[in-house]
Amino acid sequence: MAGIAIRHVEKSFGRAQVIHGIDLEVRDGELVVLVGPSGCGKSTLLRMIAGLEGVTGGEIAIGDTVVNDLPPRARDIAMVFQDYALYPHKSVYDNMAFGLRMRGSPKAEIDTRVNEAAEILQIGHLLDRRPGQLSGGQRQRVAMGRAIVRRPKVFLFDEPLSNLDAQLRGEVRVEIKKLHQRFGTTIVYVTHDQVEAMTLADRIAVLRGGRLEQFATPYDIYNRPASRFVASFMGSPPMTVVPAAISADGHHIALQDGTSLPIPEARRPTVQAASGRPVALGLRPEHVRPGEARDAGDVAVDARVEVIEPLGSETLTWLTIGGRSMTGRFPPEQAVQPGQTVRVTLAMSRMHLFDGETGAAIAA
Amino acid sequence: MSTIESTLAPVAPPKARAKPGLSPIDRDERRLGFALLAPAFLLLFGVVVYPIVDLVVTSFQLNNLAQPWMGTPFVGLENYGRAMSDDRFWEATFHTGLYVLVTVPGAVVVGLGLALLANQPFRVKWPVRLGLLLPWALPLVFAGLIFRWFFEYTQGLVNNALLMVGLPAQAWLTDPTLAFIAICIAIVWKTSSFVALVLLAGLQTIPRSLYEAAEIDGAGKLAQFWEITLPMLRPAIVVALIFRTITAIQTFDIPFAMTNGGPGNSTETLAMYIHKTTIDFLDLGYGSALAVLMFIVSAILTAGYLRYTRRDPSARGH
Repeated sequence: MAGIAIRHVEKSFGRAQVIHGIDLEVRDGELVVLVGPSGCGKSTLLRMIAGLEGVTGGEIAIGDTVVNDLPPRARDIAMVFQDYALYPHKSVYDNMAFGLRMRGSPKAEIDTRVNEAAEILQIGHLLDRRPGQLSGGQRQRVAMGRAIVRRPKVFLFDEPLSNLDAQLRGEVRVEIKKLHQRFGTTIVYVTHDQVEAMTLADRIAVLRGGRLEQFATPYDIYNRPASRFVASFMGSPPMTVVPAAISADGHHIALQDGTSLPIPEARRPTVQAASGRPVALGLRPEHVRPGEARDAGDVAVDARVEVIEPLGSETLTWLTIGGRSMTGRFPPEQAVQPGQTVRVTLAMSRMHLFDGETGAAIAA
Repeated sequence: MSTIESTLAPVAPPKARAKPGLSPIDRDERRLGFALLAPAFLLLFGVVVYPIVDLVVTSFQLNNLAQPWMGTPFVGLENYGRAMSDDRFWEATFHTGLYVLVTVPGAVVVGLGLALLANQPFRVKWPVRLGLLLPWALPLVFAGLIFRWFFEYTQGLVNNALLMVGLPAQAWLTDPTLAFIAICIAIVWKTSSFVALVLLAGLQTIPRSLYEAAEIDGAGKLAQFWEITLPMLRPAIVVALIFRTITAIQTFDIPFAMTNGGPGNSTETLAMYIHKTTIDFLDLGYGSALAVLMFIVSAILTAGYLRYTRRDPSARGH
């Protein structure tokens, strides 16, 4: 087992630079999720850790070894591919045994390890089949089995769940988490799905345009996003972010149509520095509730209901507040109709403020 | 409304198809189907079925254009019996078998090499592809002529090269063994490009991620070739083998252009013997019998390959 150190790593394909100097320290035994929209460089970064792509600049170390110039097979890693990359002409057993066989492990040991892994993943009855005879979920398990029999220092997962249907994805997600808890091996996991990122990660690295936006625990990513991008990328439905301006005394924040909202006292000192500059106000849907203000810092306003999306456990309500569209999470028993004007409460103590130009968070 | 419903009603529940009870619509569809297929059937009959039947019929006749006064009487299996005791037939068959044994694996090995080369990530792909296509597009008899010049005794390229490196010139086309070797080289050169095209298409269906997975699993380049490329390529190799074997059994043009079966009959193939029997000796009956025999051998070999592919589930695509 080992941690991974990524030190100012850069990557270019020809003249196009896709990774612009990323620093990332993955601790031993940690599950780190690389997340971001397509084209953000997350898969490239993972493939650089695997050795499938060369490193243009900087340094990658696994454990104490700098692996920049080591071929994939010398890095003691295992990878689960998006399309699983199972060998179609080999049986499940041979697929799982291949890595050990290539490393010259004795037959008896291969047998023990493959059977052990098959038992953990409940695919013991499939060992004689070929990948073509398996369902998507079973192939996924075989791909994981092939990785765990090797007992590598690091597991790399490249969007392993994106070919599964929603229900199966949930099941396998739990499975992966169990595996991590059981083996405690360092895992780097790439996904574009923020739910996967939130549920699996010890820490999340949010990437955008080949740069690291934020590297923090899921809790911090959700509750203390470092930038407007992180704030709106993580969370479903996403945080509503609207342009706004802060009054000179730092006591009020004005939306574009002139609606002025008081800022809770506790937030005023940090906010005041941004007065006079364009800012963006962000509110998570759960902080836009129906009804009158109850707690300190709450502000009640009138809002027009545009669209409702009942989800059973809650109703997502798309509202117009201060001329801007905002999303609220309403309890399901709250009967609202499109076109209706309702009273909603904005939990201003939970607001997020971002610099209007750079998008960076203004300290909470 | 009601009239429409009443006319539709009896048709609506589609009953299990009872044969005599075909609805008029179904019957019309069926007639149209036959009418549309008829031209294709007629064409197939005209260019495939009729010639083969005629060939088989002729093979049971005494039919020699050099002896028109004999007519074309039915002689049963006499022509086949004659073949069985014809030394030249057995020799030609033996030569054909040798060509198959040498040039089929030869073309597959060389073709595989060419395909692997062409599959490399060249920056400019078209010269490689064109290089692959050219020998294939060249008419067989031209290839034969080109290699006849190459192997020519006094001015040929090959002897020239041998002399330049201080080796003696060889009588390529007049020594039976050397002539056979020269012809095999020409055939392999001519046919490996087709094999390469088939195998290249096969190579391109192998996902890159398999090689990446193998690399992570610890397989070197050689192991990747044996463990992934070759097994994944097996269906394409079988297809190439079938095509190559059938054409090898029919080998004619290249030995015809290079040696015309000589020296003596030492490089003569079955197809060349059939050609000589029918065109030079005008013995259509015997020539037809020989052609039927060759056809049977081809059919048996092809059936063997096909059975082999059907038996093995991995040889079929996934």
